[in-house]
Amino acid sequence: MLGKLMKYEFRATGQSMLPLLAFVLVAALGVNIMERITQHSDSNAVGFLAGLLMFVFIMAIVVLSVMAVFIMAQRFYRNFLTDEGYLMFTLPASVHSLLWSKIFVSSIWFAAVGAADVLAVLIASFQVSNVSRFISSLTDMFKSLTAQYALNGAAFIAESIVVIFLACAVTCLMFYAAMAVGFSFPRHKWFMSVLFFFIFTIALQICGFGGMFTWVNVGGGPAMSALTMMHTTMGVAMGIEALLGAVFYVLTALMLKKSLNLE
Amino acid sequence: MPIFECRNLTKSYGSAPALSNVNLAVESGRIVGLLGPNGSGKTTMIKLANGLLTPTAGEVLIDGMAPGIETKKIVSYLPERTYIPLWMNAEQLMDFFGDFYADFRRERAEEMIAHLGIDPKQRVKEMSKGTREKVQLILVMSRAAKLYMLDEPIGGVDPATRDYIISTIIGNYDQQASVIISTHLIADVESVLDDVIFINRGEIILQSTVDEVREKNGKSVDALFREVFKC
Repeated sequence: MLGKLMKYEFRATGQSMLPLLAFVLVAALGVNIMERITQHSDSNAVGFLAGLLMFVFIMAIVVLSVMAVFIMAQRFYRNFLTDEGYLMFTLPASVHSLLWSKIFVSSIWFAAVGAADVLAVLIASFQVSNVSRFISSLTDMFKSLTAQYALNGAAFIAESIVVIFLACAVTCLMFYAAMAVGFSFPRHKWFMSVLFFFIFTIALQICGFGGMFTWVNVGGGPAMSALTMMHTTMGVAMGIEALLGAVFYVLTALMLKKSLNLE
Repeated sequence: MPIFECRNLTKSYGSAPALSNVNLAVESGRIVGLLGPNGSGKTTMIKLANGLLTPTAGEVLIDGMAPGIETKKIVSYLPERTYIPLWMNAEQLMDFFGDFYADFRRERAEEMIAHLGIDPKQRVKEMSKGTREKVQLILVMSRAAKLYMLDEPIGGVDPATRDYIISTIIGNYDQQASVIISTHLIADVESVLDDVIFINRGEIILQSTVDEVREKNGKSVDALFREVFKC
């Protein structure tokens, strides 16, 4: 059931995301071509056009990231909290399947946006040598990490990927939880959603600062080696993200199960 | 075992009761009119049966089960509004229903879509209100469900479309299945009903067969409804 839900989620979101991803890559190609032309031309018009294209490219990258977040939130709202909710919540699927389909698909789009941004920068790089240099610097960084910390370099990268993935899922869930709570009220649903989003954000900030303070002053410390400190910090970050995700998930699922308020 | 049953069912929105201690049972193979004025609790009852609301007290049972994944497999529900995604077209909607409901009869849906001259590639958002209502009714009635729950299926459409909707309902449901039609447009559905339930202010005030209503009162269901709910 989860697979089927994800299939339709990809179809619905892909209509907006795929053209945007394609546009960023095409814009990157345009920037590359214009840079090549500029090198062989003194024309002001060509220079202006190259500058304009660069501006469009940067804006496309920004818009792509913003749209990924917007579509993630809009899909949850439209699919679960408006008339479409009558269809989705009467499917023979559990609330958990419905919710996970949204979380997985949104996280995959976030990852796709990150990958497209990196690819676009590589395409836009004027000379091929720039691209080679970028890739070789990544390889060097990985090699030096491995040389210095044995297999810990690879472990650190893997840990970072997990933390980023969890952070994406938590971001989705924070939006979902705020809307699920806000829309359970009989009136001022959007206002309540925004209010709860800010409440969650402030609560996260307080927990984050509190946790960091405790970690620096009590948990971590000079007794730990840099390596242990690095892994422990990543482990703690993963644990915190997983805990936050679980809290937001339970809150969202509970509100959708018990306090769904379709009108 | 009744296909649909309410036991001391109560639902309140805050302090306002929408349903108060409702008890009723609907057997298989019946076409039932759930009749009452606006705001009488019809939609609330249907939403409770479909798991879209949680009862404040009491219970609602579908084929002996509380609303959940298993009951959603056997109930075909038509809400009172356009609930199909606007970005899809009729063909994609048939794929969708086919993917999620094992009892969806695609050939029947395709046949009805073709009969009405609806372009299967046309997006829902480009369709007229009447066409949208027809498409979602076709999808709902193309399931071989045990229970059809139709909330105001003929509200807000022209008389010709009403006739089409009623004939689609009658022509497509399984004789072993039950159909619950919620409406306040009695005259349009009276001829097809086996039973009626009158509901007002969240309370059941009458549950009877249509024949009994006519025999006892010497008048049609529509006439009785007008008398009972006279403003």
